[in-house]
Amino acid sequence: MRILHVVLAFALGLGGCASQDFVIHRLPPETPAADNAAAIARAEALAKDQQEVKSEQPSGEEQAPPLTPADAPSMRTYDPWERFNRFNYRFNARFDEAVFLPVSNAYRRLPSPIRSGVYNFFGNLSEINNLINYTVQGRLGRGVRSLGRFVINSTIGIGGLFDFAAKFHLAKAPTGFGTTLSKWGMHPGPYLVIPILGPSTLREGIGLLSDYGVLYGVNIADLYRGDQSWGLGVADAVDTRANIHFRYYSSGSPFEYDDIRFLYVRRLLLEDEGLHKKIVRKRPSRDVPAGR
Amino acid sequence: MFMPASATLADDQPATVIAAPVAKGPATGLADSSALRATLFGTPPQDIAPMPATVPLVEINVRMPWARPVPAIFWFDGKLRVYFSAQDKPAPLAIVIAGTGGDGNTTFLSTLRGALYGAGYHVLTLPSPTYPGFIVSTSSTGVAGDLMQDGQDLYAAMQRIVAHLPGKVQITDIDVLGYSLGGANAGIVKSLDANEHKLHIHRAVMIEPPVSLFDSVARMDKLFALSIGSGDAGVERLYQKLYAQLANLYRASDRVEIDTNFLLTAAAAVLNTDAEFSAAIALIFRIDLMNMFFAGDLYAKTGVVVDPRHPPKVGEPLERIERILRGKPFAEYFTKVFAPYYLKHRPQSTTESLVAANRLDIIGDALRNDPDYYVQTNSDDLILNKSELAWLESTLGSKIVVYDHGGHLGNLGDRQQIADMLDMLAGRWRGAAQ
Repeated sequence: MRILHVVLAFALGLGGCASQDFVIHRLPPETPAADNAAAIARAEALAKDQQEVKSEQPSGEEQAPPLTPADAPSMRTYDPWERFNRFNYRFNARFDEAVFLPVSNAYRRLPSPIRSGVYNFFGNLSEINNLINYTVQGRLGRGVRSLGRFVINSTIGIGGLFDFAAKFHLAKAPTGFGTTLSKWGMHPGPYLVIPILGPSTLREGIGLLSDYGVLYGVNIADLYRGDQSWGLGVADAVDTRANIHFRYYSSGSPFEYDDIRFLYVRRLLLEDEGLHKKIVRKRPSRDVPAGR
Repeated sequence: MFMPASATLADDQPATVIAAPVAKGPATGLADSSALRATLFGTPPQDIAPMPATVPLVEINVRMPWARPVPAIFWFDGKLRVYFSAQDKPAPLAIVIAGTGGDGNTTFLSTLRGALYGAGYHVLTLPSPTYPGFIVSTSSTGVAGDLMQDGQDLYAAMQRIVAHLPGKVQITDIDVLGYSLGGANAGIVKSLDANEHKLHIHRAVMIEPPVSLFDSVARMDKLFALSIGSGDAGVERLYQKLYAQLANLYRASDRVEIDTNFLLTAAAAVLNTDAEFSAAIALIFRIDLMNMFFAGDLYAKTGVVVDPRHPPKVGEPLERIERILRGKPFAEYFTKVFAPYYLKHRPQSTTESLVAANRLDIIGDALRNDPDYYVQTNSDDLILNKSELAWLESTLGSKIVVYDHGGHLGNLGDRQQIADMLDMLAGRWRGAAQ
């Protein structure tokens, strides 16, 4: 019975708003002064970064030769499940509009120290998964960093609410099983839009399942089993959504699905290039869609 | 300082110049390096005008009573999305219109909203009539880009929205603004209101408007052809080059994720030459154009990329259509969609008259004689040539300010632009030489 109520409320939520001619949604207030101050700080940090990028470049030995334009994958994306994916994309857009956005907009009105506490808390929990994955990727230095972050933030950072490790130059560096699979040589695989979660590929989808499996298996402080796990999952989802600045169909464009797919898979492929610095790649065939 | 970039943007004289006075400003009409750079990277954050700490914001979704049936493929665009920030006391309302392809909450609009709200205005921001969400929900034709038609649709939408604003909002006066194409739209809306008196619009500030829509867009087509090449093959070459450069940069950096910070760093490292700036600007503009082209073709049933008998259904792959549209210049939208549609619906018109009807000349008298129209522009604006800038200067007289630098919108939000804009809106403007 309870499930029926939930389904009914959900259906009303999705369909009910459609009939009104004039609907007002309250959004979190904008903070232009602080945003601009942050942009100035970022511009300064970027200027410094650019120096570093330039000075780092020719570290030579063992590295594969630089990529040339001919090495770029096709502009087409491997998407054999396109109809299914497009269906999911539409579902996600509606779900976002009816459920996710209103909730995360309300959440974003909470004072920012509370929100950053929640954000850091979940980030800290994921360090366990980072540690395991960096280890099996053979990147032990990074694994040690993750361990260091977890220890510092769980103690001085009061159970992960504060990211003190970042102040000790141990910046956040998330990874996951999807990246591990890539390190092991797996291609991204077909594009996949996962209900509620959004753009992914087969490899990244497997990665997500495994990442959750690890958290569930380790079950730190018994957070991931039992009744509280539901609340935790919802809080994690809301926090994640509130930190993604994306609005379905704000482009207004019929090509939005194609554009997001293109950008998502290209980002993944570029990250793969970074993981395989030492491997001389085979030239991609122009006929094979990227990601295959 | 000005380094005319070879022949990046040849200064072609539009065929329809009407008694253009001799140019006196430093306008080159050519794309020089600093203009391209400013256009691409925008106002540096340290030059942005002072902003308020918080600005309240609501999103309003409006269904227009005159809306045409929503095509299945545009199921998400049935309502117009506009954004409103209310003062908690009686205040003037500033209505701001986005530039080509822009939605109701672009970064430019957000900057203007901050400045206007900080100066005590209620602020309502609207998408461009060329934004697909506007074309589907609000346009009475579905074929965007006609100044007068788009102005009428905008004006009707404004009336409906203003009438339905939450009851507590007390409006003492109404002004309209817009940037780029939105600037031209704002001028037209004020001129319509001067006849119909539905909103009693007081002042209009047009920020870097085009003078001739089609000549401005033709310049962007030319930029595309020169910097990217013709058709989709040019886009593919550009993509391959960018991909390789990004991959090499990313490998050289010690980063884990490709995030916004990396992309910003990379953009500055990868885009260095005039040709690269031009390519990026032209591509961004082309992407905006594709939506308008697609929607126009669908509504006008002109069959360029959309088969009128079998319009694409929801969930159908669109990659092929997108690829074709990437290679199509605006000129094709004009000759194959826009002109056929309007020639059919306005039997007395000709191709030439359609072009002429899309110049600011159509409100030239009002711009000249009405003290409440203002223009802000740049001497190196990419979308103007010398004679167009000279026309603006001679028409507006003391009601125009021309900045030396900024390219197109590369100084929107900077201290001087905002201060002058607020002076103009408040009636304090005494001319550029004050």
